[in-house]
Amino acid sequence: MTLASFADHASLLLLGAGLLLWFWGTWPLLESRSYLSKLHALSVADTLGSVLMLLGLLLRIPGQWPLLVLALLALILWNTIFGYVLANCSLASRREPEP
Amino acid sequence: MRRLLPLLLTTAFRLAVWCLLTADLSRLNLLIGLVVALLLPRAHSRPLPLRALLRALGRSLLAVPQAYLEALRLIVGREPQEEEISEATTDSTIPLLVFLDVFRITLTPFTIVLGLEDGGRRYRIHALRLRRSPAADPATGGPTP
Repeated sequence: MTLASFADHASLLLLGAGLLLWFWGTWPLLESRSYLSKLHALSVADTLGSVLMLLGLLLRIPGQWPLLVLALLALILWNTIFGYVLANCSLASRREPEP
Repeated sequence: MRRLLPLLLTTAFRLAVWCLLTADLSRLNLLIGLVVALLLPRAHSRPLPLRALLRALGRSLLAVPQAYLEALRLIVGREPQEEEISEATTDSTIPLLVFLDVFRITLTPFTIVLGLEDGGRRYRIHALRLRRSPAADPATGGPTP
């Protein structure tokens, strides 16, 4: 197997795994679960799934690596910190009813 | 060195982002990037302890493979239980260390930081816990305090 076809197969595998995580993490959003447990599932889908997809793209179009690496960094940082921000906001609304 | 570290770190980070964005390592572009990195406003920051920073960075990087392991466990495991735990902060007076801590904890699917409590000494964390077996857990736990 040549290196190019190996990269092709590996990237397909990564893209597929990312898609799988996306669907797995999106499904709980439609169910009636608690807000925070949806956030837990979303961090699997959004952050980890998207990272796998970007790694797959990195193997597929290595010429664009600077932008893809930048996207990878921004994605991990923003998604994670947004998760924290959303969780923190839920805390504020939970405290509101108390005097 | 400790006083210079925040300046060096922010400038290096901004320059790296500039280089990735422009994908150009020519001398002129590097110079422009350096000028932009130095001209952008900076937050006033206290001296950074290098050792604590390296440790926090290492732990944040280790959190990435750990996050994938936890994702797998979450996917194959049965319905998890929710609970709230708390963890001591590394040093809540240095924003970068708090940021790295929050990033490390929130990145893993089992834990999300809800906020600081106890005057900034502890993180309040919302965590999932997998049930061991249906027999061991009769589902009478009730709401956690």
